Amino acid sequence: MIKTGLYIHIPFCRKKCNYCDFYSLPCATNENMKEYIDALCTQIEAEAKDYKNRIFDTVFIGGGTPTLLEADEFIRLTSAIKTNLNLTQGAEFTIESNPDTITKERLLAYKASGVNRLSIGLQSANENELLLLGRIHTLDKFKQGFLLARECGFDNINIDIMYGLPEQELEDFIKTLDTVSKLSPEHISAYCLKIEENTPFGKIKNSLRLPSDEDESLMYETLYSYLDKKGYLQYEISNFSKQGYRCQHNMKYWLSMEYVGIGASAHSFVDGKRYYYSSDINEYISSVKNGTMPKRIYEEGYSNNSHSLNQNSKIDEYIMLKLRLSDGIELNEFKNRFNIDFYDYAKEAREFLSTGHAVEQGGSYSLTPKGFFVSNYILLKLLKL
Amino acid sequence: MNDKQKNIRNFSIIAHIDHGKSTLADRILEYSNAVTKREMEEQLLDNMELEKERGITIKARAVRINYTHKDGQSYILNLIDTPGHVDFNYEVSRSLNACEGALLVVDSTQGIEAQTLANAYLAVDSNLEIVPVINKIDLPSADVERVRAEIEDVIGIVAEGCPAVSAKVGLNIDQVLDAIIEKIPAPSGDPDAPLKCLIFDSHYNSYLGVVVYVRVMDGTLKAGDKIRLMNTGAKYEVVEVGHLNAFGLEKSESISAGEVGYITASIKTVSETRVGDTVTHDENPTSEPLQGFKEALPMVFSGIYPADGARYNDLRDALEKLKLNDAALSFEPETSIALGFGFRCGFLGLLHMEIIQERLEREFNLDLITTAPSVIYKIVKTNDEVVYIDNPSNYPQADTIKTAYEPTVKASIITPTEFVGGIMDLCQDRRGIFKDMKYLDATRVELYYIMPLNEIVYDFFDALKSRSKGYASLDYELAGYEPSSLVKLDFLLNGEIVDALTFIVHSEKAYTRARKIAEKLKDNISRQLFEIPIQAAIGSKVIARETVKALRKDVLAKCYGGDITRKKKLLEKQKEGKKKMRRLGSVEVTPEAFMAVLKLDDSEK
Repeated sequence: MIKTGLYIHIPFCRKKCNYCDFYSLPCATNENMKEYIDALCTQIEAEAKDYKNRIFDTVFIGGGTPTLLEADEFIRLTSAIKTNLNLTQGAEFTIESNPDTITKERLLAYKASGVNRLSIGLQSANENELLLLGRIHTLDKFKQGFLLARECGFDNINIDIMYGLPEQELEDFIKTLDTVSKLSPEHISAYCLKIEENTPFGKIKNSLRLPSDEDESLMYETLYSYLDKKGYLQYEISNFSKQGYRCQHNMKYWLSMEYVGIGASAHSFVDGKRYYYSSDINEYISSVKNGTMPKRIYEEGYSNNSHSLNQNSKIDEYIMLKLRLSDGIELNEFKNRFNIDFYDYAKEAREFLSTGHAVEQGGSYSLTPKGFFVSNYILLKLLKL
Repeated sequence: MNDKQKNIRNFSIIAHIDHGKSTLADRILEYSNAVTKREMEEQLLDNMELEKERGITIKARAVRINYTHKDGQSYILNLIDTPGHVDFNYEVSRSLNACEGALLVVDSTQGIEAQTLANAYLAVDSNLEIVPVINKIDLPSADVERVRAEIEDVIGIVAEGCPAVSAKVGLNIDQVLDAIIEKIPAPSGDPDAPLKCLIFDSHYNSYLGVVVYVRVMDGTLKAGDKIRLMNTGAKYEVVEVGHLNAFGLEKSESISAGEVGYITASIKTVSETRVGDTVTHDENPTSEPLQGFKEALPMVFSGIYPADGARYNDLRDALEKLKLNDAALSFEPETSIALGFGFRCGFLGLLHMEIIQERLEREFNLDLITTAPSVIYKIVKTNDEVVYIDNPSNYPQADTIKTAYEPTVKASIITPTEFVGGIMDLCQDRRGIFKDMKYLDATRVELYYIMPLNEIVYDFFDALKSRSKGYASLDYELAGYEPSSLVKLDFLLNGEIVDALTFIVHSEKAYTRARKIAEKLKDNISRQLFEIPIQAAIGSKVIARETVKALRKDVLAKCYGGDITRKKKLLEKQKEGKKKMRRLGSVEVTPEAFMAVLKLDDSEK
């Protein structure tokens, strides 16, 4: 049995945030959502036979805003998953949520369906920043939601926060860190805002007063030292958790483990192939309805017939993903896997040990937090690309 | 004059850039049916892609037109096109010497410009009959009478009754043809005298070897003749002679006195057939070569390096190919610690340099790094040895120099009066010495300055244009060497001298320039994980300093399922950008950095 992750994309939001470039549709009707859930269930059922040799030990329902779904729709979806796929006992089962959509009824429905991990998008504890980001909730609404989740028995909660926001000062970010850590969630993801084209922010990029690289790096330093003091361990560039609470599903991405993605714009890594479905919900629904099934679009180098990347690309990808983790690269494992010494492949790797951007300890090469924040620069030196 | 000669007219068209020379040439060809409209390619005579884009003629071309005049007689009109830029003055003068007359095209909306004058003087020097043609009369701002008066006042030739045309829309082209036949004298020369031909151009053809364009002054030439080039002394056997029609070469039995034609003789490079040289028969030579032969001497030098060191050989091949058709281009290998293997190239002037660089990049698909242009400095050392320096990094140590000399030019600038103040400030700032100022009319002035060439090769032309809203025009000619107080300015990145950035500057300007360039460099150096000091130094004395701050953020914070390939692509793109960077020790520099010394805005000076 191949341990596999399952990702389900729910492309609905009440309103699109100003920075977001994920696929989601604001103002969908209940009818739209019902149709989409129908399609998801049908696809799961149809593909189930291909996954007989797989056991799913993580499930992640992301979006969009999956918590927009009414309780009964959600139960329909999870039943389809549980009926058709082999889930391990105690599989990590995450749902992403927006504080504005959290209700007791829904939380209880999730809980009853087997969801055991809740991820809440807070982004900022400052009202002015929430407004600027285009978030639809207030800080109070978030706090209520968080406490409600605890009440309903969620004992594994993640909070998403952001830094490097327009006009943001270090103190503002510290306030967010303070607010979040006081609630003591099990997991915190903290992302540096990236302005993407084709987002409202992207369109006014030049008039946004973003913090300088220096300020952002100071925020990053503050982030990891602050959370360290509060008992959160950094295990990835942007992810922190209490002991034993790493996100198992996301770890699969960074450890090059396989995952099946279902739904419009979902990405998959199955049998060594990477593919995704187009970001078009109507196309997705109709292809499932008429039985042709959504078209798999294969990533370059992972095409349907050319099974594998060339050796250097494989090594590059491995290094790129592994160095996101504070565990880094196990040197023996690297050598066994690729038949080459890490330092022979990445000739400049030692240089970063002496500058404090990387460490070698316990037989592993890993980036330090200082190295994480310039990891693209370092990767360019280490990878053959 | 024999009967054949009586019906020949050899003429050129001269003009300031953009006054419509090429368009007029097209219309003449069209009107005289040398080409039909269908065959007509815009600006037929300019057949290099670059020329079309820039609207300038780089190399002369000649074309023979058969035309029946209204008097019922058939005429042969030989149109010899000339390059339209100051860098190619010598070529222009040779082309003019092949003619008896010239059409002087003047834009009726602009009037006389610096190159109009320069070209008109060249034509006068060659004793040509000048026929003014006032162009662009279709434009609303055309002022034919003002321009007519200006031509008479400034150049001193009769413009009364001269053709006023619109080459663009084809208006009054017949009057131009009438004027060519009626005003320009027929050629003379004795077809039976010893052979004397003027080479006014040549180009390399991969099948025929060099095709030499000549005007036969005396004698007759045919295939099989043994010829000698009088200045180089080279001897050849003629393979083919003929005339030049609009579409190429038209072989004929012979060419004789008064005619314009071509010779092929299995000649390998155009540098053997110098423009201005005299072709004669080896066995019965003419007693005197034609006057005025000069070697094309480069005035401006620049280091050209392949961005990708592995393409050094491609660059050499490309330069050799261009050299086949461009005797004025010179190049020799040089090595830079910063840039690796490349070539020190010599050009007639800035435009020539830009054209060569663009052709290398465009036609040969090369990515180049070019260093700032330099001139040739003359140094008298303390031991009285005289050296000429075309590469700043070879500039001798200060304590070994007795006197340094730099080349100067006589610059003529024509500008509307309202910009005179600004332009005089500019010239003074560029160490120009004011010589004279003449009013061409109530609104326009001609300024004369003696200026160091070193100041012109930077961005003088751009600065001039920006201070005059594009109206001022420039012409210059070499005016000899003058003693000067020069210093060698070095730039150090991370403590190491980058030889390719070294340049020579007047001592009074060293500080400001050093500071500005250091600032520019800062913007062109990619951040590393450590700070990079930039220093400008004269000898061991640092006179300016900047710091490239250490890289603090270069991260993709979010990377989930879908982002994995996206992230890889992002890194690949970043890597692609890095490949273009030049690595100087531990520092990475954009290729543009080497030109940064050039791109100082006028306002920043």
